[in-house]
Amino acid sequence: MKTRLLAFIDVLRGAGLSITVAETLDAMQAVGVLGVGREALLEGLAAAVVKDEADRPTFEAVFDRFFAVPVRPRGKGKHPRPSDDGNGHGAGQAGGLSHKQREAEPHRQEPSRRSESAHRERERAHGRERTRERPDRSGQRLARQRALQAVPFCEMTAADVEACAELVAELAQRFRAHLSRRQRHAARGRLDLRRTLRRSISKGGVPIEPAFRERRPGRPDLVALTDSSHSVATASNFLLALLAPAPAFCRRVRLFAFVDQPVEVSLESGRVMLHESLDLYARSDFGHVLVTFWQQYEPLLTRNTILLILGDARNNRRPPRADILARMHAAVRRVVWLNPEPPQRWNSGDSVMHLYRRHCDTLLAASNLRELSTALRQTFRVS
Amino acid sequence: MTRPAEPTLELVREGLRRARYLTTARVETVLYLALVLEKPLLIEGPAGAGKTEIGKVLAEILHTDLVRLQCYEGLDEAKALYEWNYQKQLLRIQADRVQGTQWNEVTQHIFSREYLLERPLLHAITAPRKVVLLIDEIDKSDEEFEAFLLEVLSDFQVSIPELGTLTARHRPVVVLTSNRARELSEALKRRCLYLYLDFPGVEIERQIIGLKVPELDAHLQEHVARFVGGLRKLDLRKAPSIAETLDWACALRALGIKELDAAAVRQTLNLVLKHEEDLRKVENKITSLLAAARHT
Repeated sequence: MKTRLLAFIDVLRGAGLSITVAETLDAMQAVGVLGVGREALLEGLAAAVVKDEADRPTFEAVFDRFFAVPVRPRGKGKHPRPSDDGNGHGAGQAGGLSHKQREAEPHRQEPSRRSESAHRERERAHGRERTRERPDRSGQRLARQRALQAVPFCEMTAADVEACAELVAELAQRFRAHLSRRQRHAARGRLDLRRTLRRSISKGGVPIEPAFRERRPGRPDLVALTDSSHSVATASNFLLALLAPAPAFCRRVRLFAFVDQPVEVSLESGRVMLHESLDLYARSDFGHVLVTFWQQYEPLLTRNTILLILGDARNNRRPPRADILARMHAAVRRVVWLNPEPPQRWNSGDSVMHLYRRHCDTLLAASNLRELSTALRQTFRVS
Repeated sequence: MTRPAEPTLELVREGLRRARYLTTARVETVLYLALVLEKPLLIEGPAGAGKTEIGKVLAEILHTDLVRLQCYEGLDEAKALYEWNYQKQLLRIQADRVQGTQWNEVTQHIFSREYLLERPLLHAITAPRKVVLLIDEIDKSDEEFEAFLLEVLSDFQVSIPELGTLTARHRPVVVLTSNRARELSEALKRRCLYLYLDFPGVEIERQIIGLKVPELDAHLQEHVARFVGGLRKLDLRKAPSIAETLDWACALRALGIKELDAAAVRQTLNLVLKHEEDLRKVENKITSLLAAARHT
């Protein structure tokens, strides 16, 4: 059994799960405790090595292949199952298939719908059995979401973008939660001597209730400049969608899109609205954008402003005008640059990231949704 | 009171039944495993699926106390582990000054257990018997706190510079819950057994309603369970929790509703859906949801 288990763990690793030695030991112990009944084995091993529900479908697929039995013990084997029952069953098992396979074989799901009532009958008969399917489904949803979060923006297809809608809404929700928590619980700051002494007067000079300076996160102004040129438009749109909850937590939010000049945009019920027309087919010109923005909107950039710029810094060999960014940097609280390209491509070709980098407080990679949402949280950290 | 012997799977099942916590074979198995292997149990899942309840039920099964640590952003060691009772120490110094005690004696006094404010983690470690430590909503805490927690969970001992090291006499049973507001660190996950607690299936939810609101007609129980099951499949801002289902069942009983029809649903739906947009979204789907729920 031991060698068989080790082999099983090996196959799981091959399927993309990362499993440590300690977890392998846990799995062995679990088997030792639970015995080798099929359900017990499945749950015990899962609890020990599957640490993310998104991995569960993969795990079960491998498990089914590895510990294959001719008849699933779910049916208890007490009575021969009617044929359409078997079909419904097959669909349940398809939980083990990868997402892609499932999509490729939509007809496999059909019978399960038709045999829904037979299915329900069976569920009633074995109240317990049902439970293996529901978590599978959410496991699949989680796996899909996790995969989407890691797809680089530059490789996204239109269908991918569509599929992201739900995920983006959820990420925006998390971002909102992050912002509201941030307002409630800023870390306790240094001792406030003046207030401590003042309080101590009524206690005969004993500082029994020390007072601390609260770190007030305050409500910053947010100015976002996002590159809408074709190459990074996906990232920009996601950023604007994720910024939806920001106005409630900022004093003022101004959003701008640019290609070769900045144009103010706003979010109306999830859609990006341009205030003026923007030539989307122009060639991006960061230098010109910076100059124009500085001329038109300088008053927006104050000590309370977080300036968020999203762009690949591919300037088409035009003057970068990093000096303007330096001036902006001097004017605002913080400059955060999000680059939707993977770091290894920065500074390659016509990218002038290294020139702008000097004048940014933070430069973060945001080449997929996961990085983008993490970067946003960092942008709004308390400092 | 007798100390329960080595837990068996049967014992866990029996305990869950007695605690009136209906659940699945998976949950039973994993709980049992966590008890036997003495490993922390990390429970993830949607809000309202009964994660926190598991901690309470475990305490009930083991006939012991529940120590609960609610996490939030900004939670630090002082709030989770221990803090010196500064006010009491000051008072002591004041009192000693009057009596003219020597420096050495004072320092020995004010850094003793008496002046230590025990927070949940330390409380669980120093408890005279095995307790259940419930660390709720760990995803809400900061990453630094998670790292610190990892240290405590690995060997269940705490070093207090002025006092020395305190080691747990009985390893507490640790349950962590998370709503996935953020990804937890790999290291923490590795150290725990993992359980994903989803909403129960329709059948189990019906049984739960039957258990907690037995006065409701049997067919209504079934319809409510199915209707809520249908709601959860929709893409809502907040899926109805089990507690909300029970509230709804109670309300239906109190209002004397005999049949779950569109009018009854409209009248009471705000008990399960708390967001305006969710209500609006469901509004025009009520008939189809009802049809699905009542179709047998």
